[in-house]
Amino acid sequence: MSFSNPAALIWAALAVPIVIFYILKIRMRRVPVSTTMFWQQVFDEKAPRSIWQQLRHLLSLLLQLLFLALLVFSLTDPFFNSDVRQQRRVIVVVDTSASMQAKLEDDTTRLDAAKQQIQKMIQSLKSRDEMAIIVAGNQAHVACGLTSHQRTLQNHLDNIKATDGPTQVADAVEVGRRLLADHAKGEVVVVSDGCFTEAVGIAADPKVVWAQIGEPADNLGLTRFQVRRSLLDPIGFQILVEVSNFSQTNADTSLDLNFNGELLDVIPLKLEPGEVWSRVFEKTSTGGGILLAAIAAEDQLPADNAAQAILPERLRIPVTLVTNGNWFLERVLAANDVVDLTVTSTIPTELPPGGVLVLHQTVPQKIPAGKVFVVQPTTSTDLWKTAGAVTEPLVAKQDKENDLMKYVRLDNVLMPEANVLQPKTEFKALVEAISGDPLYLHFARPEGDVIVLSVNLDQGDLPLRTAFPIMLTNALSWFADGKGELVEAIATGIVTDVSLPPELQLLAQQNSQKLALIAPSGSKTLINVEASVARIGPLAEAGIWTLGTPLTDEQLQAITQETADAQAAFPEFKIACNLNSPSESNLRPTQDIIPQQEALQAGFGGRPIWFYLVLVGFLLIMVEWFLFQRRWIS
Amino acid sequence: MALFDKDFLTKLEYLSIVSRKVFRGQLMAQRRTMQLGSGIEFADHRQYTAGDDFRYLDWNLYARHGELLLKRFQEEEDLHVYLLLDCSKSMASGDPQKFDLARQVTAALAYIALSDLDRISVYAFANGVLNHFPLTRGKARILSLMKFLEELRADGEGTNMSELTREFVLRAPRRGLALMLSDMYDPSGFRKGLDVLRHHKFEPHVIQIHHPAEANPKLLGDVELHDIETDDLRKMTITEKHLRNYRDVYERFLQSIRDYCSTYGMGCTITDNSITFDQLVLNMMRATGIA
Repeated sequence: MSFSNPAALIWAALAVPIVIFYILKIRMRRVPVSTTMFWQQVFDEKAPRSIWQQLRHLLSLLLQLLFLALLVFSLTDPFFNSDVRQQRRVIVVVDTSASMQAKLEDDTTRLDAAKQQIQKMIQSLKSRDEMAIIVAGNQAHVACGLTSHQRTLQNHLDNIKATDGPTQVADAVEVGRRLLADHAKGEVVVVSDGCFTEAVGIAADPKVVWAQIGEPADNLGLTRFQVRRSLLDPIGFQILVEVSNFSQTNADTSLDLNFNGELLDVIPLKLEPGEVWSRVFEKTSTGGGILLAAIAAEDQLPADNAAQAILPERLRIPVTLVTNGNWFLERVLAANDVVDLTVTSTIPTELPPGGVLVLHQTVPQKIPAGKVFVVQPTTSTDLWKTAGAVTEPLVAKQDKENDLMKYVRLDNVLMPEANVLQPKTEFKALVEAISGDPLYLHFARPEGDVIVLSVNLDQGDLPLRTAFPIMLTNALSWFADGKGELVEAIATGIVTDVSLPPELQLLAQQNSQKLALIAPSGSKTLINVEASVARIGPLAEAGIWTLGTPLTDEQLQAITQETADAQAAFPEFKIACNLNSPSESNLRPTQDIIPQQEALQAGFGGRPIWFYLVLVGFLLIMVEWFLFQRRWIS
Repeated sequence: MALFDKDFLTKLEYLSIVSRKVFRGQLMAQRRTMQLGSGIEFADHRQYTAGDDFRYLDWNLYARHGELLLKRFQEEEDLHVYLLLDCSKSMASGDPQKFDLARQVTAALAYIALSDLDRISVYAFANGVLNHFPLTRGKARILSLMKFLEELRADGEGTNMSELTREFVLRAPRRGLALMLSDMYDPSGFRKGLDVLRHHKFEPHVIQIHHPAEANPKLLGDVELHDIETDDLRKMTITEKHLRNYRDVYERFLQSIRDYCSTYGMGCTITDNSITFDQLVLNMMRATGIA
């Protein structure tokens, strides 16, 4: 036996005051009384003192000295050399992925079962053994470093929570190996349900002990859910849904689609075992909001039975059409549901914010600042010079990759006449005639883009073709900078860049390029924003996340009291986050995994010797207390 | 605070008046003694014997019956009140001391007696008579008595009541009322001393004064008891059970005093020193009627 702290033996000197106190106690407290004749009677009535009574003071002294000896001995932290030789180092990797939320028969989760198993392992630790806990959630991280203190391990274990994300067991095992270093009796124990692709490889590793949690279970889950604005229909949107049946039986259920709390559609589903059902739905709405998909399945993993997506609001575009009269142009713009059309014959001096100016034929010498769409210009401007007209222009070249030309094909369109424009500044030709003259061109200006269509609308059938409204819709979308089309619903556990709207960019600038990322549960974290992009993730929680002001609640409250319109002062940007992971939804681990639970526990857990010494010490204190009480109360 | 202050004297006067009006002077003084003599109240007749005073012959009876009979009168005399005050060290215990109450009660009883034209004498004792205030009469003597009492100290070695009473009966010129103010902590027993008084035709009255802590001590654990009278030391471990036994023993002791006094028709007052002297004297008047 050795001592960790032999210097503590100095405390044995406390025996001296104990003996002194004992001697002082033997002298007893002297109490003057009027007479002792009554006490004499009292004690004469009793039998003479027994040997036990004679010795009990001495016994008390011995007990106190023995108690001190035990305490001093425990302070030296004695240990057996065999404990040092057999010292273990256990790295526990606990899977906290979404599949660990799957419920078991007793209504607990797989994570609860994993925690119980780890708890047994903690209790089986001997005093010199060390253990660390690594959480393999969205990111592998060490929840509790190497320690022998069981209470610390237990506290950290209790704080572990399941995530909605995929697992990172492989990374966590690697971290565990690094923690083990070259320890002779080290082992990495993986406590997982094995619902991930690398599970078989990890379980087969001889240096890894696999503790299997949970049994294979049936599950039906939403594995994909996205929504975007329709590219053709200004008010339409498309919903992509994918439902996978990971059960061994047929699934008979229904899919509910809700938009802002209102039922949008109910789709009955009948899925074969292993079938993946995917569908795109087209719906219409100018307003934005939260789209919720839910399958009515009472399976073991509720986390993948619902998914959410953000449908961006289609912003209305104020369009000012300056024309002397063109029925087609007017009707096409008026028919667009997102356009607020104003028709005038004079060029306005100022455009509304976000507005688009459409000039038909009549153009000023200097194209005004802002977003301008010019149709059939007849005079020269600061951007181009007119050089007569070209008859029967045949389309020779179209920039099909350009967003302005999406879904636009002018190959068979009859265009009898077009004006010849000679650009004065840098431009991009979207459509060119055989002669090389641009028919549809784009000027990028710092003060606002200008798109010019030189075709004469009064002649030919371009206004009658579907290409014409699509061209205008594309142009308006271009001017809107693609905003309001898609806010991608991201999957848990991934890192992604989010393009911020201008109001959020401004908010970040006002707050040292920082924004708050608020989880569905309400927890708030600060993230850094670079220019117009915020990098977020990996998100551990499924639901609606919010990017907003980094101010604290107290600061917000103070500002709200000062400013009535606080909501406008602090814009928010919502992001939907879903599990959307087939590997996590599949609750059937690979059958090749062989559990090695017998290797987990090292038998009865031993506490350090000092613990037992203190325990005996307390027993002695109890005996002394009993003796003390006997002296005072018969 | 002085033992006998102005307030004390006021209370004394009050007690004296109460004694006279409420108890019709029957507390101590104006007691009829059983001695026959030259009083004015007729008692009975007896046969004339040679040498008798002719002045007491009942001539009317002689004229009627021809017998020489002598008239006898009950002699009235003032009462002798002896106050035996315990000055042993045990009387110094308590706060305030038992001795203070004892001295106050002594002064009060003496004043009442002097007011009733009785004679009083005070004997301070411990294991014998330590000091003596001679027999005196008249209210004016109360101040010198108070001075005497104030100078007394409770420092007598031991309590020996039989020795006291043997010495007392030799010194006392006449029989009378013997009021004993003591805690009665005589290791050889209080009975022997009282027996001596009884046998010498004194009328003893016991006033036992104790401290509440003596009746119900709060001692627990390992203690060394020091008897302040005998300087004896006793080491003992006192438990709750011992305390219960002690209370029983002490109560038996007090009961034995009551029983003894009751058996021999003696007055008995048992009190702790938490009571005031005037209250104690009034209690004595009400309960026992010393006269």
